[in-house]
Amino acid sequence: MSHKWAMVVDLDRCTGCEACVVACHAENNIPTVGGDQAARGRAMHWIRVERYWEGDFPNPRVRFQPVLCQQCDDAPCESVCPTYASYHTSEGLNGQAYNRCIGTRFCANACPYSVRFFNFFDPKWDKPLNLQLNPDVSLRSVGVMEKCTFCVQRIKSAEIQAEAEKRELKDGEFTTACAQSCASKALVFGDMNDPHSEVSRLASSNRSSKLLGELGTKPSVTYLERGTWQDANNA
Amino acid sequence: MDRRNFIKISAVSGAIATLDACGHPDQKLIRFVPEENLIPGIATWKPSVCTLCSAGCGLLVRVMEGDAEVVRHGKRGLMKMGLAKKLEGNPQNPVNMGKLCARGHAGLQVLYHPDRITHPIKRTGARGAGQFQEISWDDALKEVASRLTTLESSKAANSLAFLSRPLSGQRHELIESFLKAFGAPPAVWYEPFDEAVLRQANLMSFGHAALPTFDLARADYVISFGADFLGAWNSPVAQSIGYGEMRRGRPGRRAKFVQVESRMSQTGANADEWIACHPGTEGALALGIAHVILGEKLAAQGAGTRAGARFPGWSAGLPEFTPEAVEKQTGVSAAVITRLAHEIARSGSATVMIAGAPLAHTNGLFNALAANALEALVDTGHDEKPILAFTPAVPLGGGAQSATQASLASLNALAQSALRGQLQMLLLYDANPIFSAPAATQIREAIAKIPYIVSFGSFIDETSAHADLILPDNAPLESWLDSVPQAGSFQSVANIAPPAVAPLHNTHPMPDVLLVLAQKLGGDTAKALPYSTFDAMLRAALVPLRTHGGSIDAHSDDDFWTAVQKQGGWWSAASAAPAAGPKSARSAAAPAASGKNAPALPEFAGAAADFPFYFQPFVSQSLGDGSLAHLPWMQELPDVLSTAMWSSWVEIHPKTGARLGIQQGDLVAIASEVGTLRAAAVLSPGIAPDLLAMPVGQGHENFGRFASGRGANPFSILAPLTEPQTGSLAWAATRVKLTRVGGPEQARLVLFSGGLSGFPREGEHR
Repeated sequence: MSHKWAMVVDLDRCTGCEACVVACHAENNIPTVGGDQAARGRAMHWIRVERYWEGDFPNPRVRFQPVLCQQCDDAPCESVCPTYASYHTSEGLNGQAYNRCIGTRFCANACPYSVRFFNFFDPKWDKPLNLQLNPDVSLRSVGVMEKCTFCVQRIKSAEIQAEAEKRELKDGEFTTACAQSCASKALVFGDMNDPHSEVSRLASSNRSSKLLGELGTKPSVTYLERGTWQDANNA
Repeated sequence: MDRRNFIKISAVSGAIATLDACGHPDQKLIRFVPEENLIPGIATWKPSVCTLCSAGCGLLVRVMEGDAEVVRHGKRGLMKMGLAKKLEGNPQNPVNMGKLCARGHAGLQVLYHPDRITHPIKRTGARGAGQFQEISWDDALKEVASRLTTLESSKAANSLAFLSRPLSGQRHELIESFLKAFGAPPAVWYEPFDEAVLRQANLMSFGHAALPTFDLARADYVISFGADFLGAWNSPVAQSIGYGEMRRGRPGRRAKFVQVESRMSQTGANADEWIACHPGTEGALALGIAHVILGEKLAAQGAGTRAGARFPGWSAGLPEFTPEAVEKQTGVSAAVITRLAHEIARSGSATVMIAGAPLAHTNGLFNALAANALEALVDTGHDEKPILAFTPAVPLGGGAQSATQASLASLNALAQSALRGQLQMLLLYDANPIFSAPAATQIREAIAKIPYIVSFGSFIDETSAHADLILPDNAPLESWLDSVPQAGSFQSVANIAPPAVAPLHNTHPMPDVLLVLAQKLGGDTAKALPYSTFDAMLRAALVPLRTHGGSIDAHSDDDFWTAVQKQGGWWSAASAAPAAGPKSARSAAAPAASGKNAPALPEFAGAAADFPFYFQPFVSQSLGDGSLAHLPWMQELPDVLSTAMWSSWVEIHPKTGARLGIQQGDLVAIASEVGTLRAAAVLSPGIAPDLLAMPVGQGHENFGRFASGRGANPFSILAPLTEPQTGSLAWAATRVKLTRVGGPEQARLVLFSGGLSGFPREGEHR
């Protein structure tokens, strides 16, 4: 059975702690750029927690929303890439072939979610910080776009392992780095093609919606809206 | 030359020629023989313990083979060794159950930090000038031992002091045993945000001098007075796990969460209802809610009697704390107070927590006792047991739990004796009071006056820069670790883990160094610590746990010790854990009501006319109390509310900003009676117009390449007010004034939400 990788983000569980952000940096060899470059908008975070203020003191409200690549089925980033560096995988991921990327940045302009990041420099880790690098994830060089991969290295490794053992992948057998660290279980990753998976169950909630779904991008990430106290409907 | 020798020689010279021919500089390095067998590309997972805060989460370290550049026997070379690649939570650990917070992940960068001290060094220049030269371990240990012997023989053993960050478990025991046997006073455990006020209050209200553990997964209603329990307070991972369940883990049941604070925290942003009250009046608000519950008889008979006995009018229904009177004090309307009382009393399982700024006032103990009284009144075990409980102690005679003495009080005592010239020698371990204590402690002057300072720290910081000798500790992931989490679990937990990776540098574990010193000193000290290495001490101390059952079923001590190392610790059985809740204590007769002496109203440093704003420093989500500011992942982690990175900022209400002509990103000066600092302005709707708030952590003068010279340090302007009963620093009790002093170019506020700006410069990709 082929897989359709997807994520559900429960905004009622998300606390804005940003464990996912650092877990992603560690797993995916995302460089830090330093204060000066960060000031010019060049910091890279494949997943970020957006916050929206409503109202004013003494009744301010904040809503947190983790935003990562939505792995769209109709992805605007893919159709604009002149070198097919941004492409669609058979399992529903928006792939990024780094060695085909020539750095036009068309994809970043086309993406309505601002989740693609450009390497303005060759990444640098002061020795021995380079020893922390994950050998399963390739480093991106100057002039290349990068983005969330749904931890494709974990997906592949689990698939290969299951195939070697001649069995089906089990739901929850592996997960992405962000979801693994998420203490309140706001992030849940899994296979939409498995009707019994946790993501399939959660995505059918009546609290579900897609980020900018009206654009027709058909994201693989589903958001579950935050509740209120009176709202006892936990479907 | 025979044939055998000819082949040998030609093989060796051929190999040398091949090595020389390689152009890449790395290839010119010698290759050392690997110390362990690892299969390339295959990860092994080793248990460890997170040391970046005191919560004591269990880790699994992903170890893979890799090439590390190392120095061995004075030669630089390459070595294939096991390298830590990723940290995850240990799913078996009862505290964090496989989860890990943002700070925890960065333990990897402590291990591989480029500014780590890689070998023992001795001061050559002036104190604090940062000039050191390498010294061998033998010479360094000889020097320390001879200094200690001199102290001992001149009957001045009590002029030795040990200053450390708080430790639990056997590191704590080892240091105290060493000092006691040597004849020195007990160690000074310093951290700026100690929990002495809360421990004292919990002792008085519930009979436990410890931090509380909340079973949030069962809660229906939570009122938190300033507690950043989803961010940096107590055991945030354990609390976040419970929070997720309280929100969506029980179909049809979603708890209400009310946060009371005057500056919206990351935790407060998640509240269903956010209530601002005047700084320092949280206790009055809690008693106002209790007044309504008592008056309308909404609580169970006799609930909260013990905790409430701290307040004279409790049995009469707290007549002074009518909602109207409380409204005048707190600024929270009487209608809201009454509604909160009705809601919490009528909901199922309810709990109340207090932490952070409400305790950091001169009336912090009053606030804590008031919140505890309300907690005891409403948290009466609706479904079997209360939400608030205390983690059962590990059954190991002798408690390594921190006492209720405030760390500021003991730091003050240390500084005073140093200033009087009574201290001859200081052993320093990972505490940095020059950065994180108010100037009034005179700790900078005191440190300068101590004739001889030895630091075990892995980094040069503001305090360790004054050391005469630095004997760098292994990184935590390279060390035998143990810790006893004080909260966050309903089982007792003793974390234990062997080193996950071999030491990268020429460092030695601090506990082993102390044990070696003890043997060199001989006499009582050697007798008190008869272990050659720390793991032998750990084993001796922890193997008795075998007889207590729990998570490990072993037939011999050897099997037990092996299983403990594999599991990453020992914990008591989940079902066998006693209901550690203060249930029995709640209904017990009230002990002497010493809490009556706790002042009810807060005092502030600075007259309101000259210093119109309250000033509230807060623990940074990423940098903690500043001890994590050297980690690049933490510096580049956007603050979730402001999106600020790599900088200091002051949160100001937009109306205040408009009145004083301050716009987002401007440079502002904040002045207290004690000092002035400058930082960037962040306009935020989540802060009271008469309050300014600022994260702690930046403003390091000397803390490596990533933190030094960045931002400003709010500790530098704090007045030395304390909570009088515990001596704890009242860090929220300083008043300040605010002026604009420059524009965004000078302030250099870095925001992640800022978008791309500017044009490419030379050398950049176009």
